[in-house]
Amino acid sequence: MDGIGTALFAVLALGLVGGGLAVVLVNRITAAALFMAFTFLCNAGMFLLLGAEVIAMFQVIIYVGAITVLIIFGVMLTPQGDRRYGLFFQKQTPVAAIVLAAVAIPVVVFAFSFRDPTGAPHLAPGDLKALTTSIFVDYAVPFEIASILLLAAMVGAIVLVKRESDDAAGGER
Amino acid sequence: MPVGPFGLDPLIWAPLRLALAVGLALFLVLNGALAQIYLERKLQAIMQDRLGPIHVGPQGLLQTLADAIKLLAKEDVRARLTDKWFFLAAPSIVFAPMLASYAVLPFAKDFVGVDLNVGVLYLATLGSMTVLGIVIAGWASNNKYSLVGGMRSAGQLISYEVPQLLSLITVVLVSGSLSMVQITESQHDFRINLFILPLAFVTYFIAALAETNRNPFDLPEAESELVAGFLTEYSGMRWGVFFLAEYGEVTVVSAILTTLWLGGWSGPWVDSLPILGVAYFTLKTYLIVLVFMWIRATLPRFRIDQLMSFCWKSLIPVTIANILVTAVLLLAFPTTRVPVAVANWLMLGAFVVAIPLLQRRRLAGVRARLRAEAERRAIAV
Repeated sequence: MDGIGTALFAVLALGLVGGGLAVVLVNRITAAALFMAFTFLCNAGMFLLLGAEVIAMFQVIIYVGAITVLIIFGVMLTPQGDRRYGLFFQKQTPVAAIVLAAVAIPVVVFAFSFRDPTGAPHLAPGDLKALTTSIFVDYAVPFEIASILLLAAMVGAIVLVKRESDDAAGGER
Repeated sequence: MPVGPFGLDPLIWAPLRLALAVGLALFLVLNGALAQIYLERKLQAIMQDRLGPIHVGPQGLLQTLADAIKLLAKEDVRARLTDKWFFLAAPSIVFAPMLASYAVLPFAKDFVGVDLNVGVLYLATLGSMTVLGIVIAGWASNNKYSLVGGMRSAGQLISYEVPQLLSLITVVLVSGSLSMVQITESQHDFRINLFILPLAFVTYFIAALAETNRNPFDLPEAESELVAGFLTEYSGMRWGVFFLAEYGEVTVVSAILTTLWLGGWSGPWVDSLPILGVAYFTLKTYLIVLVFMWIRATLPRFRIDQLMSFCWKSLIPVTIANILVTAVLLLAFPTTRVPVAVANWLMLGAFVVAIPLLQRRRLAGVRARLRAEAERRAIAV
């Protein structure tokens, strides 16, 4: 990585860690949702730095464009005031600190001890061809199974929440 | 030490280039909005047999400039019960993705911010971020009309994003690339995609109208029912930023339509004089912008349930069928585009003819049901 890459990495890493911390520590759920979108954006930037453009785009399109909107939509539909109490991890700081340490320290140790075993240079920029071949050729069957599973889940969700209205005919004019 | 262009250190050149690009994009957005607002007023005036702006400057040319100065000079008002940070952030969240879209628009040969090999996907991604800003604006205003506007907008934008993306896929299939530059270059010698994929053009155009909140899909800011929708509490330049974003978004989708279906910068004599490409690109883009305005002056607004059922029951099935047919025909005839074009024109014809017929049948059914209900009531009384 050249100088600009390192600088961008530093900015994105700060955004990622800061945004992640803010999601957990902020007391307002709407602000937390927005910080989460920010974290996802930084994450997409990381993917871009690695040359994985398609994954970066889908990261934004799905997580920022769909999931965050869905969360904010849900928050908007429920009455919200400023909470006077903290959530689990905001209330029980010692427990949270222990759990955090138990998870984070191994990750950090692993990350700093990691050396590329092959020593190969980075992949050529652009993951489009590689990604599409692996999804639609090498792993076509698992991909199809996953999509059918999602379809079944969607149909099931619709059936579960469907209400039999007495004036079903009057619904659509 | 590596040396970038003009003998500058890359560490200095990269931020400089970024600043230049953002400055140029801002320049284009601001001037485009000024020009489009004037054009829109004049065009609507002509269509409605009025004069339009005439007082400020020759033919009223400076009217928009005067309005912009008025907006800038207005007091920055924020109602006390609005959510401060969200209220202030929302215009930027809408504006920034639109501005970033300009990075991949190919204005002419070798005149493009960056030739991303996933350019189309990049534009779709940025388009999907606008909805976040609008929803936040509606929520932060702490006003029921704003909230309803924001919610309508979320439903509408998320729904119409689906046919919009699905329409893009057929072009990508035919051109064999996601890069805006390569898609333009694949349409040389007037073999533009509009002739091959007219149905995708129409479906994308309809979805783009909805994505940019333009008539007949301007429900989120429907004046007659929602005051001004999510814009109700905004005034001054914050309101202006929303409108800048809307006009910028119109330009961006028009530029996408130009690049993907009308051949982008290509045109006569463009090989010997590449700068002509900018003129062709601008002309084609503004041609589509004019159609947007024409539609706004012509059509009434959809109702929200009609809007949703049109998207999910008509547009999405049609676009999916289009992808299926195009992909199969491309695999069956890899060397020629003629079968795809024939099938697409036929499907477009069927789409256009089927809508009024289906509508007539549906309305007849509705009338019969209402009549039966009225008779039942009459008997009961």
